[in-house]
Amino acid sequence: MSCWYNNTAPDGDIAVSTRIRLARNINGFPFPARISDEQRQQVNLIIRKAIKNKDFAPYSLKYIDMKDVPQNERLSMLERHIASREFVSNSDNKAIILSEDETISIMIGEEDHIRIQVILPGLQLEKAYEIADNIDNVLCSNLDIAFDDNLGFITECPTNLGTGLRASVMFHLPVSESYGDILNLTKSVNKVGFTVRGMYGEGSNAAGSLYQISNQITLGVSEKNAIDNLRVISEQIINKERKLQNNLNKINTEDICMRALGTLKYARKLSSTELIELIGRVKLGINTGAISEDINPIKLLIEGQPYMLMKTYGNMTEDERDISRAEMVRNALN
Amino acid sequence: MLCEKCGKNMATTHIHSVVNGVAREMYLCDECAAKEGISMADSGFSNMLASMLGDTLSIKKQGEQTRCKCCGSTFSDIAEKGVAGCPECYKEFYNEFLPYIKRVHGSVKHIGKNIGASSASQQEGNKVTIESLRDELAKLISEEKFELAAEVRDKIKEMEAQK
Repeated sequence: MSCWYNNTAPDGDIAVSTRIRLARNINGFPFPARISDEQRQQVNLIIRKAIKNKDFAPYSLKYIDMKDVPQNERLSMLERHIASREFVSNSDNKAIILSEDETISIMIGEEDHIRIQVILPGLQLEKAYEIADNIDNVLCSNLDIAFDDNLGFITECPTNLGTGLRASVMFHLPVSESYGDILNLTKSVNKVGFTVRGMYGEGSNAAGSLYQISNQITLGVSEKNAIDNLRVISEQIINKERKLQNNLNKINTEDICMRALGTLKYARKLSSTELIELIGRVKLGINTGAISEDINPIKLLIEGQPYMLMKTYGNMTEDERDISRAEMVRNALN
Repeated sequence: MLCEKCGKNMATTHIHSVVNGVAREMYLCDECAAKEGISMADSGFSNMLASMLGDTLSIKKQGEQTRCKCCGSTFSDIAEKGVAGCPECYKEFYNEFLPYIKRVHGSVKHIGKNIGASSASQQEGNKVTIESLRDELAKLISEEKFELAAEVRDKIKEMEAQK
């Protein structure tokens, strides 16, 4: 199976991933927070039937009842960005629909009845939106989706009304961060209705210089405008970081990046905090040409997350995980 | 990332505190954060939304009496949680919601994808024509929905300026 992080991508040196999320609800049912068990099962069934439509055939979607998914696998979905924290934290009655490569994930019973998500590597806003929009079109023609001429798509939280669209791009910004530019970035994107978050969405910190920028306003702004604006902002961020990376002192950068690579190649234990720091430096090394080896740092970062390791190797203590993580990284790099 | 305290659950709360000039950072799960006396409900976004909706509520007390036909929510239930109970709530409490929605989005008129639209206009994707907005404006004025009408009027002006 080829996940989003297995592939190289346009502007992938700075832009790690692009995500599009569409929030949709079905008329006649309370939102998931207030829904009865019986109604929830009805909603799941309605959606399950809808995805059997022949128009969905090219996506080879698979419906998965979350109660059949082991806990480690559930939490690993958050770590590889195919489900939200809210969804995995209490997902017994929920369901998820995944495409084979997991670029498409449809969460059922998160905050809204339906959350369509498309994730692609690098900066690919238009492509990701096109995929999400096509899926949405088929769902809308097969389901009684809640929509109002004035308020647009109806969502549980009024902040998502309108397009129900959240478009986000995740960036790796080590040099902008070290120059203290993030605060300015946050201020200026806030002014135009965008927000800056850490790697794992709302409330998470920006470990490893990974920052996510997404739109906040969904009513009175068309999908096209929201995406165009985010693309323009993204291009500016990418160009700036690229420029800063190119102007770094060559030997000092090489030293920092090669030391990080050395540790990753030979360490016997790696904590997740250490992994994210070292991976960031290796990524910078690849961008600046200090490292010429064929390495996919983002893949290592995702696969080294605690639940990603435990879904493969079984439950482990933190200490055992650090050993297993180091081994996984070593095998990938040597 | 796992919780620093119990090491079992996923850390969901990042606490940055400065006490007597000493900065301290902690990553905790919901449970341990609650034990530390920090609850997302206290400081979280949902509470902020609730307080904004509550504001609306104090102006529109009569909304308290009505219940949504579909899910049974009153507007005070909605204001308390900061979220609607079901899609019907927006119809039932449309006028109560409007000032709040306006504050959040700066607009109360959806533009963009429209699943009610004819297939021809759907093909145009996000395009809303000035003519369709003028029709809408006339309709809203005849229905005395002036706040919405003002919105639509501004949109028309904006589109004409872009021409």
